[in-house]
Amino acid sequence: MTTATKTPAQIDPRGPRFGAVITSTLLLITIFLALDAATLSAATGLFVAIWLLFAIGAIFGNSKHPYGLIFKKFVRPRLAAPKELEDPRPPQFAQAVGLFVVTVGLVLAIFAVPFAVTIAAAAAFIAAFLNAAFNFCLGCQMYLGFQRIGIIRK
Amino acid sequence: MPARFAGVNLFVMSLELRLALIFGVIALATAAGLIWRARTGRAKLVSSGEVIDLAEIGATKDGQPVTSFGSKVTFLQFSTEICSQCRQTARLFHELEQTTPDVLHIEVDITHRMELAKKFHIMQTPTTLVLDKRGRVTSRIGGVARPQTIADELGSFSI
Repeated sequence: MTTATKTPAQIDPRGPRFGAVITSTLLLITIFLALDAATLSAATGLFVAIWLLFAIGAIFGNSKHPYGLIFKKFVRPRLAAPKELEDPRPPQFAQAVGLFVVTVGLVLAIFAVPFAVTIAAAAAFIAAFLNAAFNFCLGCQMYLGFQRIGIIRK
Repeated sequence: MPARFAGVNLFVMSLELRLALIFGVIALATAAGLIWRARTGRAKLVSSGEVIDLAEIGATKDGQPVTSFGSKVTFLQFSTEICSQCRQTARLFHELEQTTPDVLHIEVDITHRMELAKKFHIMQTPTTLVLDKRGRVTSRIGGVARPQTIADELGSFSI
């Protein structure tokens, strides 16, 4: 995150939340598959796909993410106008946090750490579920904390 | 037969156990969400007796430095640029200020002032400090202030 001189275009906050619903569902399936050795490789494959989706979200932001595009094309036209728009940076940062968690899980899985995929998927699920069900964006909350300890420079 | 993945022996779990663990994770996330929802936007009493220095925090209002507190109560809201709920909260306090003469609302953007975030231990925005007429911090509201919380705060200052 480099110094932003201009404010990026505001987004509908329901967009990232819609994405979080899909992400949390996929993560739940990942946990379920990863708990049995017979389906662990399928779980790992799905987790790699989730990693890719987080990477798109972290690099390009919600508006260019497949879920964001689905939301814009199919969901938003059916909804009333949003009460409030939001800055795209915290949800994008939250995607980076998700990417980090999934990366750690996959790296540990490469080193054959038991339940690496399960635990990383569970951690990511909790964050995505809080966003989807409670509109609480854990990654967004961490933004200020990281900024405070100087990881994100403004 | 113990299954192996990348050279490690793994448990073979029954469907029941897998489903139980899945529901356990969902229950854990739900509990965390409910705790957050129960706490956010409520006032916590502050008894440190800390008095706010308006010059130090660089409080401005409509471009002018703020030099005095509200005649009964001041809501000092810390915000960041990237916070959508901050604007919602600011609008709420602004409306309150218009209709209630003894109330002052000050919003301080801490995006580029992390020293203030450290000093006041701000981990989320909006965080609102409630100050009495001398600028002493009486309570602290983390998250979007609830209408009932604001009403209770006004009540405690007999407004």
